[in-house]
Amino acid sequence: MSATQTQDFDAIVVGSGISGGWAAKELTEKGLKVLVLERGAPIRHGLDYKGEHMPPWKIPYAGKPLRELYKEEYPIQSKVYAFNETTRHFFNNDKNNPYVYNPSKPFNWKRADVLGGRSLLWGRQVYRWSDLDFEANKRDGHGIDWPIRYKDIAPWYSYVEKFAGVSGEKLNLPHLPDGEFQKPMNLNAVERTAKERIEKQYPGRVMTIGRAAVQTEPKNGRGACHYCGPCERGCSAGAYFSSLSSTLPAAEKTGNLTIRADSVVENLEYDKASGKVSAVNVIDANTKERIRFTGKLVFLCASTIASTQILLNSTSEHFPNGLANRSGVLGRYLMDHTSEVGSFGVIPGFMDKYTIGNRPNGIYIPRFRNLPGQDESVDFIRGYGIQGGSMRMNWAQMHHQISGFGARFKQALRAPGPWVFFMAGFGEHLPDKNSRMMLSHTKRDRFGIPQVEFDSAFGDNEERMRKDILEQTAAMLKAAGARNVMSFDGNSPPGGAIHEMGTARMGEDPTQSVLNRWNQAHDIPNLFVTDGSCMTSSSCVNPSLTYMALTARAADYAVTQLRAGKI
Amino acid sequence: MKRRELIQHLALITGAALSPSVVQAMINGIDGRINIQNPTLNETQRATCSVLAEMIIPRTDTPGAIDAGVPHFIELMVSDWYTNTERTIFLEGLATLNSYCLKEHGSPFLTCSQEDQIAALTHMEVLASGYKSKLSAMPFAKEVDEHVPFFGKLKELTVIGYYTSEVGAKQELIYQPMPMEYRDIEFREVGRQWSS
Repeated sequence: MSATQTQDFDAIVVGSGISGGWAAKELTEKGLKVLVLERGAPIRHGLDYKGEHMPPWKIPYAGKPLRELYKEEYPIQSKVYAFNETTRHFFNNDKNNPYVYNPSKPFNWKRADVLGGRSLLWGRQVYRWSDLDFEANKRDGHGIDWPIRYKDIAPWYSYVEKFAGVSGEKLNLPHLPDGEFQKPMNLNAVERTAKERIEKQYPGRVMTIGRAAVQTEPKNGRGACHYCGPCERGCSAGAYFSSLSSTLPAAEKTGNLTIRADSVVENLEYDKASGKVSAVNVIDANTKERIRFTGKLVFLCASTIASTQILLNSTSEHFPNGLANRSGVLGRYLMDHTSEVGSFGVIPGFMDKYTIGNRPNGIYIPRFRNLPGQDESVDFIRGYGIQGGSMRMNWAQMHHQISGFGARFKQALRAPGPWVFFMAGFGEHLPDKNSRMMLSHTKRDRFGIPQVEFDSAFGDNEERMRKDILEQTAAMLKAAGARNVMSFDGNSPPGGAIHEMGTARMGEDPTQSVLNRWNQAHDIPNLFVTDGSCMTSSSCVNPSLTYMALTARAADYAVTQLRAGKI
Repeated sequence: MKRRELIQHLALITGAALSPSVVQAMINGIDGRINIQNPTLNETQRATCSVLAEMIIPRTDTPGAIDAGVPHFIELMVSDWYTNTERTIFLEGLATLNSYCLKEHGSPFLTCSQEDQIAALTHMEVLASGYKSKLSAMPFAKEVDEHVPFFGKLKELTVIGYYTSEVGAKQELIYQPMPMEYRDIEFREVGRQWSS
């Protein structure tokens, strides 16, 4: 198969999710002609959100057993909480686009397969990192030091927050810096009471409303949240941040954007003479036609796993082990967050209270372990944050509890049930050389591209942290007045939190890292990687906001360098 | 934690006898109007299901299961959505119900008095009451317990069919898909739970 055509752009962005959308916006707004390549199907903002606002009686039930379909075609994606018949069209079909799944050491790679990527499906929780995070590796020796500090990224956090539209409450905590917030969403009566009780019993711990990339004020040409609830079905009002509602329209407005969906990037070509990436090779997902695109800059924003897959599959005489992989660390130091671990219980009383609206957000308890100046002795390093919330049980959750049938049963389901409070911890995953992804030597996908394999597991530190999460969530719920507190640990493997990070980490030392402090490949000046693969450590907060900020920062640097003739 | 995620977790709190599969179907939503691909119920079974559904959620000051189209929904689920194991348990349950009526009341279920029908359905509930699921009750578990006894299956399908129907969602509960705000209210302001 030979290349059928070549098209030239100033910059090529691979991926259209959170990072790719930002790269497209920033580069086009700086005047570059940009091509965005997306392997998934082209969908339109609003028009293709076919599950949005669909009432329960209209949601199509396919008429065939979904369980068989999911088992056959979506064994991984169907594990995602947001996966259902109103959203399935956004998700990857695991049968069509498989990876090597090792049941005895699983990694759950949860992926979208449409334009906009996981920005359509994400949880929208956005937290700034602090120097507690950026200095963590240096402090305890796990992983290498980050090449940046909070001051380097802080203005970029502000920049992206203003555009993305972030609601939240300022707390003035050094380890969870405040951002540019729209008005916070409300806690409910039970949550406010729990907050008071927990903060009283545990001085130093704070409960707040989640910081969410969901607008509470109409801004940026997008609407405010109307509290319908299921964001993952799509939001034609654009209240929550997605590439489709926000960054891609901004890029389109410049007249400099070309989007090509159904475009699977096979590899990048390296030109020895110039020392740069010279082309991006694409396979059309529908026609299998091969197309070669050239650009002065290449931004890899395909997601943590997919970007590194492309680099590993881009071998040459100069880079036999994968592009930009002189260090040998490409694919290594794969991280996620520990998840699906926490507690819940019933809060007695408050039966005269109820809420209106479906809040797409919950409570947040910022990290309270191993903070500077604390002398507590816990048996793990780093920390975790807690997310959760309280709500009254509804008919779907209650009907098993109510025996009998008939008018009394019906009457009993008319009112909502007791208030339940739920808390789950997201814990930092230490960088570990042995946690990695690689290309299969034997299995290829339908495009002939080697499939990804994983060898990753949480370590002892994460295990000990999980135990503390179980204990502390149960204790805080009890302090909040909860009864019948139960703890759970779903033993979710890496990938479970959908916060996968690392595999092409940033660092000062080219022999130990793939990218420099500007997300630029150490060895290849026109190659930038700005999605989760660049992360040198994982913090315990949700990472997407940091990808946005790093992407905008890298785009600014890249264009400056390009204009100065240094790229 | 998002509300819908929370719902999934909370749905599983209710213990081992819960069928996450049906919760999943509930969350996915079911269109009771769609055609049944492989109808499995005969006339008697179909009529029995209608009577049973209305016994579980009768017409009161609001419409009942039959008004809401629940019998069609039950047949759809039993026919096209259930696994073979589930379908067998359900159909055997209908047979057991009928045998019980013949033995105890000398008449098939459909021609029993209302009082005897209630006694028969109560008997089925008692038969199911000792059931303990072997599956994990972890909030994140997505495993399906196919072995829930007949009464649990019938009640679950009726409840889900009813409250996700337009009639159940709007007339028995309150449907407000565009609330525009999230805040505390007094329960007496609405007096019912939201279906949206």
